[in-house]
Amino acid sequence: MSDSVLRTVSLTKRYGRLTAVDDLTLDVEAGEVFGFLGPNGAGKSTTIRMLLGQVRPTAGRATVAGIDAADVARAHRNLAYVPADVALWPQLTGAEILHLLARTGPGTDVAYRDELVERFDLDTSRRARTYSTGNRQKVALVAAFATRAPVLILDEPTSGLDPLMEREFRAAVIRARDRGQTVFLSSHQLAEVEAVCDRVAILRAGRLAEVASVPQLRALHRAEVTVTYTGAPPDLTDVAGVDAIAADGDCGVRFALSGPPAPALRALARAEVTALAVREPSLEEIFLDYYGAEHAG
Amino acid sequence: MSTGTNTRDRAPGRAVTGLALRQVRRGGLIMVLFAATMPAIVVGTYGSVTADPTAMASLSALATNPAIRTLFGEPLALDTAGGFTVWRIGTVLAVALGVWSVLTVTRTTRGEEEAGRWGVLLAGLMTPRQVMIRHIAVVSGVAVAAGTAVTAVLWTAGPDRVSSIVFGAGLAGAGLFAAAVAALAAQVFPTRAPATGATIALLGVGLLMRMVGDGLPWLGWLRWLSPFGLLAVSSPYHGDHPLPLLALYGGTALIAAAAVAAAGHRDIGGGLVNPTAGRRARLRLLGSVAAFAVRRAIGPVGAWSAGIAAYFLLIGLTAASVTDFLADNTVFTDSAARAGFVGLDAVKGFTATLFTLLALPVGAFTAVRMGAFVAAEGERRLAPLAAQPVSRIRLLGADVVATTGGALLLVTVAALATWVGVTAVGGGLSLPEALYGTWNTLPIVLLSLGAATLATGWVPRLALLAGLLPATGGFLFKVIAESTDAPARVLSASPFAHLAPVPFAEADAAGSVAMTSLAVLMIMAGAVGYRLRDLRG
Repeated sequence: MSDSVLRTVSLTKRYGRLTAVDDLTLDVEAGEVFGFLGPNGAGKSTTIRMLLGQVRPTAGRATVAGIDAADVARAHRNLAYVPADVALWPQLTGAEILHLLARTGPGTDVAYRDELVERFDLDTSRRARTYSTGNRQKVALVAAFATRAPVLILDEPTSGLDPLMEREFRAAVIRARDRGQTVFLSSHQLAEVEAVCDRVAILRAGRLAEVASVPQLRALHRAEVTVTYTGAPPDLTDVAGVDAIAADGDCGVRFALSGPPAPALRALARAEVTALAVREPSLEEIFLDYYGAEHAG
Repeated sequence: MSTGTNTRDRAPGRAVTGLALRQVRRGGLIMVLFAATMPAIVVGTYGSVTADPTAMASLSALATNPAIRTLFGEPLALDTAGGFTVWRIGTVLAVALGVWSVLTVTRTTRGEEEAGRWGVLLAGLMTPRQVMIRHIAVVSGVAVAAGTAVTAVLWTAGPDRVSSIVFGAGLAGAGLFAAAVAALAAQVFPTRAPATGATIALLGVGLLMRMVGDGLPWLGWLRWLSPFGLLAVSSPYHGDHPLPLLALYGGTALIAAAAVAAAGHRDIGGGLVNPTAGRRARLRLLGSVAAFAVRRAIGPVGAWSAGIAAYFLLIGLTAASVTDFLADNTVFTDSAARAGFVGLDAVKGFTATLFTLLALPVGAFTAVRMGAFVAAEGERRLAPLAAQPVSRIRLLGADVVATTGGALLLVTVAALATWVGVTAVGGGLSLPEALYGTWNTLPIVLLSLGAATLATGWVPRLALLAGLLPATGGFLFKVIAESTDAPARVLSASPFAHLAPVPFAEADAAGSVAMTSLAVLMIMAGAVGYRLRDLRG
């Protein structure tokens, strides 16, 4: 526990009768890429703003590298931040903003920053006023990735990026982790989270629904099994963990499998199985599993 | 639908007019109420003032106060309630209506377009020209309503009803002129700030031209080039000349036509003048939060300096001729002396009275700067800086210090400009005296900054308003209290009651120390609030 760089303990934020974040306890360990998922309004940005000391918790506490988040002058020596909707001073050019953020920030690797400017294909001579959403995001990303801060807090940082830049972003996250930086990534891009995150927290209506590694999450969820057979079809009725059985052509069957596969395998062994395919659920399916029920209800 | 064709043709236009109305209605209503209430108050007090000989004496003393004369224009017909009202509040109403029209037009047209909200609007059936015309029409409607309200109040007060129409039409014309110029500026510039700044600067020049024209007879023609000058030349209750009003409305129509023509000849999101997108990086004053606050203040300080320097240079240049005139009219100076305005017949006394007015623009400057700081937070521009290892106190302190520095510079510029003007026409005021006079207003300026900072910490959306309260609010309060002959106890609520006319008199040390201490307390309380509260955005 001593090497948790971001920690929230029973963190709660209420706005009048609305509870935006409810009793959230999280530990992000040094050197991991931590995904922070949840639908709109789940409380992701509010949590991040509490970690940054920009919003005061109603109850509980948040720390950055062991320092209370409210002590921003010290806590922010350990972090760099990319906001969800980047707003910049319109009259400054990209280069001027990068300079300002480097000089006021926790320390910047200028050579790496120049490399990032190249990689993200950013024209820094232009005024921020003329930047598109994606370009403003690039400025904030370059500034954050170029710091030597131990923690990078990224709030939906790729919503305005094209696929090429999205690839650069993933590469930058991996390089940051290789250098030992911790990345806290709030995102809607589930493929991106799946590609780069070591662990994922799922937030639902301000409460923590799950924290697990992506493989663990998969294990907790339903895999899709497709079986081809000759002769009599396997009898899967009332087999533990098997659900949503459907015929797949003349001599095939498809079903959802959750939990240990042994009972299903025993049932399949009694039939003449010619092919068996197991597809693990995508993060998107897991995500929809968590929220689908909520929306249906 | 039996009226299908008709509805389709009119619906988009109505919707856009409705949108414009929703954005304007609250401020517009306040503006019209203000325009109706001010003359009603003045007319209401006029009877009691003329009935009471001592009140009449203090009124004529007030009329001889050169600060009041310069601000309010020449008193032409103080013998009627209407003429008294025109002199008392004519300029205030015209400036208020003009400034409101400018701010509202640039906010609802260029501001909305800059924020990207017109992209959706213009994807509909309306052309940019139609949308612009409807927004301008709504603001113009408020100007006409305000002028009509003034006419209605003065009409019922009688007896010169034609004069009440002339005055109301002139006021409405000033509002329409300001709206038209703002509309044109909103086509020329691609962003709201320069459009607003250029138009306000133009109105400021217009106000200066009226003052010069009023003050120097051989430059009287200058008033024909200014909306405020034309309002003065139309002389309500003292001639009622229609020609200046025709010129004002004709000029307004031309400018409005130019704005409409320009609206069809530019890209959405762009202006007729578009700055080049790229430039070399200028890295000076980007090294720290404090330096960056200074960098952001440089432009505004330059603009406010230019306006203040122009005004006080004018004061300096005309000081000698005005004081000569006053020295020759002992009736004025005697009654002024009885009312407490002593030494108006000397340059030092004249400038001292005008220096006290300096707290108005410099106080407004501090309010506007803190308002801009709060706006940067609300529009999330502050978020990247707030995520740096910089405490909230330093973040706020940087802007408070930069604003204080800017205010010091502004009062120093005022002293220099006055001294240069006075010295150019013969002298009578030394530079240290001028500096003493302008620096003497700093306690009220600091009160403005303190109130704005206090609001920034606790109720950020009120920062600008709170900052305007001590200086602008205090001045209006003092003027109204004096007009209604309020007791000294009420009058002392205004900070201006504790401001001595320096360098003619010695500074009110106790008052200055008290106001400065209160300002420092408010700044500290504001800092505490800013440390504790959630950042917006």
